[in-house]
Amino acid sequence: MPDSRTYDRSRALDRFLAEIEVRAFRIAQIALRNEDDALDVVQDAMLRLARAYADRPPEEWKSLFYRILENRIRDVQRRRSVRSRFMAWLPGRQNDPEDEPDDPIADAPSEEPSVVQRLQLDEAIGVLEGALRELPRRQQQAFLLRALEGLDVAETARAMGCSEGSVKTHYFRAVQSLRARLGDTWP
Amino acid sequence: MNGSDGRTTQFEQRVRALLEESVARVDHRVRARLRAARRAAVEEAARAPRAPWWRALTLLPTAGAVAAALLVALVLWPQRMDQSLPLNGGGTAVLEDLDLLVEAESEELELIEGWDRGFYEWAVAQADSGRGTSG
Repeated sequence: MPDSRTYDRSRALDRFLAEIEVRAFRIAQIALRNEDDALDVVQDAMLRLARAYADRPPEEWKSLFYRILENRIRDVQRRRSVRSRFMAWLPGRQNDPEDEPDDPIADAPSEEPSVVQRLQLDEAIGVLEGALRELPRRQQQAFLLRALEGLDVAETARAMGCSEGSVKTHYFRAVQSLRARLGDTWP
Repeated sequence: MNGSDGRTTQFEQRVRALLEESVARVDHRVRARLRAARRAAVEEAARAPRAPWWRALTLLPTAGAVAAALLVALVLWPQRMDQSLPLNGGGTAVLEDLDLLVEAESEELELIEGWDRGFYEWAVAQADSGRGTSG
């Protein structure tokens, strides 16, 4: 039977993961462009955090979790890169299905306020995601951790394993790139 | 979000709102899978509570092996250094080595032929004493 300390820690971990899981999934999905891969890396990051860092103070969990998640995302991207290089050698192979854009029907929203609103939002989200995917990986990471997860500069630096100055630079460049890309559609 | 001017802040706020919207629209199937993953992780954390002494124990074999290797290295190092030094010149050292080799070989031959040094010494002593009494 678990003692009270273990029980408290389990509850805290459950609350923490419940709070971040969907955002983490979105960050992974934007980075990997694939729902199943995103789910896999988030699940793996959760397990690794639970196994290795559950004893650490809860205020450290967020940075640690996103560091683990980023490493897993990089692993998947590296594997894909190797695989695509290998597949390019095979005759009759044009495209990797995973490189194709997401199916909008498969990504149907769970709530539908109205058809017009939904279409407008779909379009805006699609344009934004496209622009985010075009960003260099570090800029994308800094921007999503700050804008979507709401980490401050210090937490983002810990999660990214870089200095706070680098975070500010990556973030600033990301905003500039997004503005340049979305400026026409977003007056 | 910390834009340097009002326009940037507005832009960033809009991006953030859209991203939040995209999070809210993650479907139930994905949420269910994330929930299952979270439960598995929490169970994992509860199943494997780590204690400092236990962690230390897991490191003991490695630490012991390293310590033993260091000890062996420390013991062997001076001997090896001694052996590598020439004894009264290189030729003497070689001759001593050869003597050691020959002695070792002769002892091995004695064992192979079943030569019992004790028995022969006793027999010689008996013969000597017999000669003494008869003579």
